[in-house]
Amino acid sequence: MPLLEKLAHFLTWVPEKDYEFYLPEESSTQPVPEENKTQQQAIFPSVAVNLEYVKTAYNTMLNSDIVIREFNILARNRQYEAFILFIDGMVNSTMINDFILKPLMLRNSANSFEGEQDRVIAEAVTNNITVRKIKKFDIVSYITSCLLPQNSVKQVHTFSEIFSGVNSGNCALFIDTLNVVFDIEVKGFKQRSVSQPQNETVIKGPHEAFVENLRTNTSLLRKIVNNENLIMESVSVGNITKTKCAICYMKNIANDDLISEVQYRIHNLQIDSLLSVGQLEQLIVDQNTLGIPEILSTERPDKTSQYLLQGRVAVLVNGSPYAVIMPATISDFMSSTEDANLKPYFANFLKGLRLLAAFITLLLPGLYVAITCFHQEILPTELLFSILPTRQNVPFPVIIEILTLEISFELIREAGLRVPSPIGSTIGIVGALVLGQAAVSAGIISPILIIIVAITGIASFAIPDFSFGFHLRFFRFIFILLGFIAGFLGISIGIFVYLCILCNLKSFGTSFITSACTCSNKKSNDYFIPPIWKQEKRPAFLSTKKEKNQEAISMKWKN
Amino acid sequence: MNQTKLSSLEAISLVLTITIAHTVLSLPRILLNSTKSATLLNLLYVTGIVILLAWLIYYCFKKFPGQDILDVSHFLGGNILKNIVGSLFILYFVVSSSILLRNFSQSIQVIYFPMTNVTFVILFFIIAMTIVNYLSFHASFKATSFIMPFAIISVLFLFLANIDNFSFSRMFPLLGDGIIDTFITGIGNVSAFCGISVLYFLPPLLKKPENYKKICIASIIISAIYLFLCVATLLFMFEFFISNDELMPLYSATRYIEFGSFVQRLESVFLLVWMIVFVCYLGITSKISILCFKKITKIKYHKPLVLPFSLFMFAITLLPKNYAESIFFENTIFRYCVWFFIFAFCIGILLIANWKMRTNKKEEIS
Repeated sequence: MPLLEKLAHFLTWVPEKDYEFYLPEESSTQPVPEENKTQQQAIFPSVAVNLEYVKTAYNTMLNSDIVIREFNILARNRQYEAFILFIDGMVNSTMINDFILKPLMLRNSANSFEGEQDRVIAEAVTNNITVRKIKKFDIVSYITSCLLPQNSVKQVHTFSEIFSGVNSGNCALFIDTLNVVFDIEVKGFKQRSVSQPQNETVIKGPHEAFVENLRTNTSLLRKIVNNENLIMESVSVGNITKTKCAICYMKNIANDDLISEVQYRIHNLQIDSLLSVGQLEQLIVDQNTLGIPEILSTERPDKTSQYLLQGRVAVLVNGSPYAVIMPATISDFMSSTEDANLKPYFANFLKGLRLLAAFITLLLPGLYVAITCFHQEILPTELLFSILPTRQNVPFPVIIEILTLEISFELIREAGLRVPSPIGSTIGIVGALVLGQAAVSAGIISPILIIIVAITGIASFAIPDFSFGFHLRFFRFIFILLGFIAGFLGISIGIFVYLCILCNLKSFGTSFITSACTCSNKKSNDYFIPPIWKQEKRPAFLSTKKEKNQEAISMKWKN
Repeated sequence: MNQTKLSSLEAISLVLTITIAHTVLSLPRILLNSTKSATLLNLLYVTGIVILLAWLIYYCFKKFPGQDILDVSHFLGGNILKNIVGSLFILYFVVSSSILLRNFSQSIQVIYFPMTNVTFVILFFIIAMTIVNYLSFHASFKATSFIMPFAIISVLFLFLANIDNFSFSRMFPLLGDGIIDTFITGIGNVSAFCGISVLYFLPPLLKKPENYKKICIASIIISAIYLFLCVATLLFMFEFFISNDELMPLYSATRYIEFGSFVQRLESVFLLVWMIVFVCYLGITSKISILCFKKITKIKYHKPLVLPFSLFMFAITLLPKNYAESIFFENTIFRYCVWFFIFAFCIGILLIANWKMRTNKKEEIS
């Protein structure tokens, strides 16, 4: 870019093209527009041409796991050239042998039956004229209904559909003279079985977590929701990987605009690959401001179902044991699945504790620095006397001291996560011993600071959502710097700017702080939860089709 | 687009923020100096007048639904009057908030940063204000509604925690320097309710415009209670002539709070809350100024205006040569500005516009 042009660009202001989406107050029932499907290569009638096409597409000369088995089909005593295509390791070989190849190749009563070519279904005689309804012989329906004893057989017409099926563990059956291919489900790859949640454990509650297989995850949701209104739309994302995703929502509860917006964003992703839920989350959020999470991710099917029943939308990604839920507010990041299983007093007590934990994580080190550097008067004299001697021998200024310890703490935490689990605890012990005891004995760090950093660390682990906890841990460094530069002045300015940034955030058309904002606390938007019999309405910010969650008097047995 | 509009609580918070920002500085001292021991009585009297004025503002805007003072000025005197009123409002908000910022920064500097140049303290506020203004229009308004309860609680706590230090006999003589000083010249204390200036811009910003009346009255009543608590605390604690020397009278009152020997000297905690409120105030005034400028110049985007406005405010903040000059502006000039511009001029415009509207309707019917 020439210098003058650069200068002109610097001096002029170009309006940003902000993407605006607001969830309306009233739910609209506009139908979702169908996407324009791109033209795709249709199946050729000649099996030889199809074979060549498949071999070229799959690079069979290089790919060792692509299996093409050519054979002749026997149908009504006639032989047709055919081949099946599948990927070794992803299919159940017994099923292919017993339920595809045997019925098609071996002579049996079904494929050797000749019968009438054109079967008369009905016959009527009117004014000496005989009217006959004849069913023409159709090989495609004959094969589907007589020769393939499989529960899931789809007829597909394009190669992209075939490849999509084969890549996900299906078997494609090509037959000469037909411009249709049978996509037969014979999945049989090894997968992890449903196990306990690793990161979101609860005491009273189900102990099932999502796995890497999309279909298993959808079945887990179906099992819990147990309602025909649960929709699971299948979408492929990624030009290369064509990763299967499922957009899940309750069609009679979720707002149509919200569903359309999720569909719109996911359908309009022009990426080569989608490998995890984390990637999808970053690709569909409104703003990526300062790393504040705006979409909830969970490994728990019960939590996902709970949000689906509220009227939110969840997205599952094949290969990822997590679901992303949208929209999400700050309250969701501070809630645990345990809350719903506890009595409201205890649940709200825990929620209050978590709020305190969030404040401590974000502000405690910054406040400590501010008080130590500028506002010593706030410390009671006795406390000041006990702190002073411990700090006297420390050679560093407080900012260096706290940054060293905070960064060391983060290092220990990161190392503990990355090392194999048997030696994970060793890292903790070594870290605690070296950094705690030894550093204090050496007079490098004051004991009070160890207490501050330890409380901050513990508080950060009390935040139920990992992403939100991470965000708070990251931001505490900014507050430490602000506290060091200008004491409470810096902290107060930091709090205000941070609060404004939170207020500015939107998650799929809803305000991020809706549930925490005192002025919008109506219709079940509250941070603290009421008793279950009082949870009559769904959150107002979701603008759901069904406002009521339960009857006004839910415990009718009392009347 | 309902999410970009203000709820009733947010709107009330805006009015309160302006009052609280002034109260943190020298407003209670000004009130006490003008009406002495009769300040509480005067405050009740003035509150009644301001409630009437707020109702009048609501009544005048009833004929102009969804319009603010600039739209009404445009209806009354075309673009010329609209530009004049808009420019006056910009000048009022920018100058008053800049001078207040100077005073506040000067106080903070004296208390915490005696070795630092006041410009650095001012810069902190200006940078925060600029960042916030770059965010969406609604963000700082919403943030204000979060912070406002803490500000009110802080003053309530200040009042309750200092009860032991109160000498209730200080409210006597009840009529202070006499009836004339309390009820005639004391009318000047309506300037304490300077937050009323925001009411002129609220109608188009409200989520539920039908709540405008409730907002007008509620914001004045809450402001009055807040002012009453502040003035009562100072009046019962100090001799009003002693408080004259203090930078921030409320800050002085916080120094006396103690619960046993462990909880003492909580003034910095109070100051933390008040500093947040003050940044809120700066955010609101600068945003309304930008809104005015955008409206009178018919500019589509507000973001390019943020930096020039911030620089403009920063420049005005540095104009007073010393603290005495800026305090003179706050104590004297600002009071008259509020009187003549916010109460007399703007209400006058609204009344004449109503009269014009009525005449136009009569002409249409005839």
